[in-house]
Amino acid sequence: MTASVALWASILLNGVAQVFLKKGVGHSNDDRVTGQWWLSLLGSGWVWCWFFSFIAATALWLLALSKLDISYAFPLLSTGFVFVAILSRVFLKEAISWRRWVSILIICIGVVLIAGK
Amino acid sequence: MTPETPFGPDTNFVEPTRAVQAERAFQLADIAVLGAVLLAASGHLMIKAGLNGAIFAAAHATSVGRLVICLTQPLVVLGLSIYGLGTAMWIFAVSKRDISYVFPIAALNYVFVTVGGMVLFDESIPTKRWIGIAVVVLGVALMQSAGRQGAR
Repeated sequence: MTASVALWASILLNGVAQVFLKKGVGHSNDDRVTGQWWLSLLGSGWVWCWFFSFIAATALWLLALSKLDISYAFPLLSTGFVFVAILSRVFLKEAISWRRWVSILIICIGVVLIAGK
Repeated sequence: MTPETPFGPDTNFVEPTRAVQAERAFQLADIAVLGAVLLAASGHLMIKAGLNGAIFAAAHATSVGRLVICLTQPLVVLGLSIYGLGTAMWIFAVSKRDISYVFPIAALNYVFVTVGGMVLFDESIPTKRWIGIAVVVLGVALMQSAGRQGAR
């Protein structure tokens, strides 16, 4: 596997992991955090999907970084924000206002500036 | 339940409604997002400090040997634990908010790690990077003002 494939696989897998996590923990309004709630997460298949995708994404990231410059790899991380927004709109039916899209793009630009040489 | 004051029952007390409880949970989620980001960033910095102090002998030439040395540094273990705590706060925050809202906010991580690297390890920050930091903070502020949505 080339380093670039590992890098993109890591970014995409990390995005998918976040959507898995959201699917697993759902939406709640409870202002208390009970031990029972935490335990119930262990029984959620989606949460396990998040866990393993997250581990795999981290491993792929380390693999990519061992070959690529961090100043090249790091700005590409910001594509993950756009990817997660698209996934959450399609699979979680999240309503994303145009102002949120603009905010996401501004954050992406900032990350590219932070990471660049 | 009406709370007692030294002067008798608190006549101003109003039982929180479902809406008020939901609002509290909502604000708690905001604190959790910030907490998760701060804990993750300090965890990373602590891991870096631990790795800086690691001494590799010739016997640790293999990657497994190096990994064992890395993972047995006290600061690395502490950093990983703090990172784990941050992940727990992240899970809580995600349960209260849209993922398309919280995930980009995690970019604040890069801001804290960059500034932390400057303060703790004397890493220099070029002007362009400062501009990037300002742009990320601006984006996060806009994100907040654009509305959180999520569970209500």
